[in-house]
Amino acid sequence: MNQPPYELDVRPILRDGGEPFSAIMQAVEALAPGQSLRLLATFKPLPLFQVLGARGFQPAAREIGGGDWEVLFMPVDAAPSSAEQHPAVPDSTQGDWPLPSIEIDCRDLMPPEPMVKTLEAVEAIAPGATLVALLPREPRFLFPEIETRGCLWRGEQQPDGSYRIVIRRGEGTGAA
Amino acid sequence: MIGASLSRWTMAFFAVSLVCLILAETLMAVGYGFPSHAIEAPETLVVVHLVAIGWLSLLMCGALFQFVPVLVAKPLWRPFLALPVLACLMAGLGFLLAGFLQLAGTLESDLPFLILGGCLLPLGFAMAIWILGETLWRARPLPLPARFVATGLICLLVLAFLGSLFAHLLSGWIPAERLAAERGRLVPLHAAMGIGGWLTFSAVGVSYRLLPMFMLAPDHERATSRWVWLSGSAALLALGLGVLLELALGASTSLSFGVAGICGLVALVLYGTDLAFFYRHRKRRQLELNIKASGGAFAALFASALLCGVLVASGTLERHVGALVYLVFFGWLSGLALSQLYKIVPFLTWLECYGPVMGRKPTPRVQDLVAERRDGPWFILYFAGVFAATGALLAEELTLFRLGSAVVCIATLAIVVELVLARRLANVSASLRLPEGTRLPRLFMAASGGR
Repeated sequence: MNQPPYELDVRPILRDGGEPFSAIMQAVEALAPGQSLRLLATFKPLPLFQVLGARGFQPAAREIGGGDWEVLFMPVDAAPSSAEQHPAVPDSTQGDWPLPSIEIDCRDLMPPEPMVKTLEAVEAIAPGATLVALLPREPRFLFPEIETRGCLWRGEQQPDGSYRIVIRRGEGTGAA
Repeated sequence: MIGASLSRWTMAFFAVSLVCLILAETLMAVGYGFPSHAIEAPETLVVVHLVAIGWLSLLMCGALFQFVPVLVAKPLWRPFLALPVLACLMAGLGFLLAGFLQLAGTLESDLPFLILGGCLLPLGFAMAIWILGETLWRARPLPLPARFVATGLICLLVLAFLGSLFAHLLSGWIPAERLAAERGRLVPLHAAMGIGGWLTFSAVGVSYRLLPMFMLAPDHERATSRWVWLSGSAALLALGLGVLLELALGASTSLSFGVAGICGLVALVLYGTDLAFFYRHRKRRQLELNIKASGGAFAALFASALLCGVLVASGTLERHVGALVYLVFFGWLSGLALSQLYKIVPFLTWLECYGPVMGRKPTPRVQDLVAERRDGPWFILYFAGVFAATGALLAEELTLFRLGSAVVCIATLAIVVELVLARRLANVSASLRLPEGTRLPRLFMAASGGR
């Protein structure tokens, strides 16, 4: 943790229409043990959250103006266990959540399909696990439904008007 | 449960309003009111208020109790007042219509029906404005669609005040000679506040949310949409303040109506560009029947503007104002309302019935609650009837008008039957209809939130 984060700015690649994935993976390979990756991108790189999550990195994203995003990928072992590390995700509960096990994109579905798909996915994960759903807009009808099923959620509006919600399935009785 | 997000009495508002619509259409088909009677005759007032209050205003109130919380992402304030609103408006309308029948000599009674109606209706609308107004007030800053609704509610306030004033004047309880003389010049303001302000402006606001939602079009705030709100509000302000000022100064009201007309036209043109934008940038290529049928309503809206322009330019507005009002009422407002009900009723029914088991049991899709192929022709028949009846009014063909009204009435009845079938899940296949943990929704009342 004493090492400064490795910094990678992929905005020039993205603006030229390029694909920065290989550059990011090279950077990840080059990281020293316990070192974080500080990534600068022109959008919130949601797919990376899952890819790097599988490699043991926890993301903390924040918008830095002009539509650009800064994401700090910290090795889970080294990351301080505090919700402060998720400034972009409003915290509705105390404590840490496990990394999302799946991410579903419902942005192109007609209501109430996004709600149906999200709840189907919630039912499919293990109690205590989390999932990420991308929805076309703030899901007003979904919130009370999630709570009634004993699940917790954290959500945030995205710059493009869509809504990203992280849902944690309830322990014990579960969502059933 | 999902019912927590559903407005409990919205279906009851819809049901009463649809009964009023069918009643009004039947009266027109049998030749009651304009054009068989004079445009200012009590018989015409019966039909006009049955449509304006019974059908459109009740529908709008019920819909707004459901939609305003969605528009502002805040729960409805004092939802328990929704039922008293419905009771006051139904009773008030009943008394008002009885009062008109008294004036027509159909009903012989000494009871002060007009006064009762003129008190209960403003009371009901005041409560509706209170619920919705406070919900909006607590959600400031308002998103654009909600700002349209807020302006509509202000117009409703003016409208209800003027309406109550007329009811008291007609009953002879206010012996104000001068005011009674001005009544003829205040009636156009009353109509404009009702049709343009309360009903059209609120409908436009709700459409800014519903259309992108059901077409999957981008729904970020657009500059043109903001200008629709600004120019439309300017038109309504010119009417609300300008007409009263001109009357106080003893001038004619033509300046205010002129300014309002120009601002209204700007709003309408910009609204047209927004509609085209939603249509062009939609992600959903295959349009559902409610969106296709809304096209008929939008055609009627722009045809109304064109007709109004032609009538003003040719100096025949006064003579043909009945045709214009008919096209706006039945083509634009009722057409849009019926088209959207065709989506809203199945959608709310779906949420109420299948919400609790969503994700756990296989459920039908919302589209499975209706039979679009069967119902499409009814909407075509509806709009064909409306345009034919409007043409008949312009041509002063009485029999043709009644025939057109009968077609409109039959199409409406068929659409209402389809709405009832959707609410009873009659079109859903038996295997998916009522999975364990669900129950058939009641016809007029959403299940209680229970929390």
